[in-house]
Amino acid sequence: MKRRCFQVVLLLIFGVELGGLFLFSAQDTENLLDSVAVNEERYSVQENWNRMEAHRGKTGLDYAVIDNAGKVLFRTRAGLSENMNQAVIHRDTIVDVEQDGHVVGKILIYNNGEELLVTRKRAAVVVLGTSIAVQAILYMSYTAYLNRRMIRPFQDMKHFARRVAGGNLDIPLEMDRYNLFGAFTESFDIMRAELKRARVAEAKANADKKELVAKLSHDIKTPVASIQAAAEVGAALAEHVRSGTAEKNVCSGGAQGQEELLLAGMGDNYLQIIRKAEQINTLVTNLFTATLEEMEQLTVTPGDMESGELTAILESADYLHRAVLPAVPDCLLYGDRLRLQQVFDNLFANSYKYADTKIDVTLETGGGYLAVEMEDRGGGVGSEELPLIKEKFRRGSNAKEAEGAGLGLYIADYFMKAMQGKLLVENGEKGLRVTVVIRMSGCDTAEQIKI
Amino acid sequence: MHRKAGIPFMKNVLLQTEALSKSFSNGGVLQHVLKNIDLQLYEGDFTVIMGASGAGKSTLLYALSGMDTPSLGKITFGKEIISELNSDDLAVFRRRSCGFVFQQIYLIDGMSVMDNVLAAGLLVNRDKKVLVRRAEELLLAVDIPEEAWKKFPAQLSGGEAQRVGIVRALINSPRILFADEPTGALNSKTGLDVLDTLSRFNGQGQSVVMVTHDMRSARRGNRILYLRDGAVLGECDLGTYVHGDRGRHEKLSAFLEEMGW
Repeated sequence: MKRRCFQVVLLLIFGVELGGLFLFSAQDTENLLDSVAVNEERYSVQENWNRMEAHRGKTGLDYAVIDNAGKVLFRTRAGLSENMNQAVIHRDTIVDVEQDGHVVGKILIYNNGEELLVTRKRAAVVVLGTSIAVQAILYMSYTAYLNRRMIRPFQDMKHFARRVAGGNLDIPLEMDRYNLFGAFTESFDIMRAELKRARVAEAKANADKKELVAKLSHDIKTPVASIQAAAEVGAALAEHVRSGTAEKNVCSGGAQGQEELLLAGMGDNYLQIIRKAEQINTLVTNLFTATLEEMEQLTVTPGDMESGELTAILESADYLHRAVLPAVPDCLLYGDRLRLQQVFDNLFANSYKYADTKIDVTLETGGGYLAVEMEDRGGGVGSEELPLIKEKFRRGSNAKEAEGAGLGLYIADYFMKAMQGKLLVENGEKGLRVTVVIRMSGCDTAEQIKI
Repeated sequence: MHRKAGIPFMKNVLLQTEALSKSFSNGGVLQHVLKNIDLQLYEGDFTVIMGASGAGKSTLLYALSGMDTPSLGKITFGKEIISELNSDDLAVFRRRSCGFVFQQIYLIDGMSVMDNVLAAGLLVNRDKKVLVRRAEELLLAVDIPEEAWKKFPAQLSGGEAQRVGIVRALINSPRILFADEPTGALNSKTGLDVLDTLSRFNGQGQSVVMVTHDMRSARRGNRILYLRDGAVLGECDLGTYVHGDRGRHEKLSAFLEEMGW
């Protein structure tokens, strides 16, 4: 329906333009004077020739009458051509005045053709200009409409897909219900939600398993320690008894007895038990630490990247366009593109989730680092929570209604450290201020050595 | 020109880089050869750039001298920002402000010694009389006697040819003389002559930047920069060159050892 209206309007405008053009080209620019009126005036002048002072124009034409000597006998108003020369230059119509078959003078009829032409041109320009402008506006608004309705949703989808691929499942795909693809995209969001649910379940199962392993390994350590202690006591006892027997043997001067051999063997067995218990202890400790540190097994492979890539990362992370992103100064950064993207995705998502305000982003370089400072206007967090905010499974008091596991800042901090950078969280003037400090390539963390 | 030890000496910055990076595309993979180099070169200095093979020494020299353009960052030479010049302006800048000495000497075989020197000069200076006078002075200063001026490059020894190369590099009175392994292709004795020549011109105020991996050459510099993985890892101030200074050698050795040479 709307489309039909649009087409009709376009056709109408096209028609107006065509008509304007046609009218303009069809205008007769040569024959501008009414020849009947000219003739009428001519006869009137001829009639009144001998008393021109009493002559009056009849038809409303502007003209001057001169005699053969060039003297002006009559004029309808000032400012007309008053001799042949002027008349020729002005392209006026010149008519002879005859008396008894002789030419006695001329009528110089003012020709306003040029003025007419100018007014018509102007009218044509106005008509064509307006219609072209209207057309342009229509086209532009149609393009904007298409952009809003089709291209932007697709771009949103692209960003969404990238976020999901990058593992960020927290941010829903925001779609206009009235959008052409509304229903279509909704299924994508359902997919995201399902994925997220599965992932959360998986993470929970994993965490439970790990907790069990950690608990078990701790529990195993206690009996192993008892075994070790008992074996040590046994070994000491065996040694004590053996040395006693040996002394006896020496005193009696007899050969090494059966008993002594037995005791020596017992001592060796105890030592074996102690060594094995130690081994179990080490293994269990390793298992215990490995389970705890499994979180840290996210690999970060930093390398050199041009600062232009950071611009792309920031643009992609701020998908709701809450920040005016400053230009990143040209330099070479040391980082892992994927992980850096995750860090910023996380930080922007946090701000969207908890503050939901504009974000001020500023950049600063110095000392071999590039610092990206982001501050929202959400009021920040309580000062007693600030020192713990980067801890694992730690969530602020305002986080109750928002979903999440409390790992975002912890992981971001971990990533930044792995890239030899830093993540600073503090309360700013208006809200939480997070500073991501990225190392610049070639600038060693240690001070440059000078002799 | 005596400088008291311990008193800071204000030198004019001749060339300055800010976050200079250079990358090459290698089979679709970007290789970053220079990384965020912030460097200042001073007037009258004999700066030596050292480092292992592949550290980016020559790439840095080419970027500093305008023979190559940086991928990122800014290079200011005097008042001119050369990283923003187009290739034509850069060529003009190079001719006027830089002199080059390479390991390969690249004298033109079909031209005599004098013509080789004058050809470089005529690109910048049209006044042949002035040029000839300067060429004569320089050739005599590097111990190329008058009877050798008409010889062709093939008739010269390696050391002589390299000294002619230095004269050619200096004919336009460049603000910096860039040398890339100038003694690399020479034997010990002739290499020493070439180094003496460079030291002498530096003593007269000529700024020199030299890339080398030879300690004997490096000793001539008053400022040693050590490059690793495309970044300046450290630098060492050796002071003005004095012939036969034992402490100088030890200081340089200690520095290079610390750098992991």
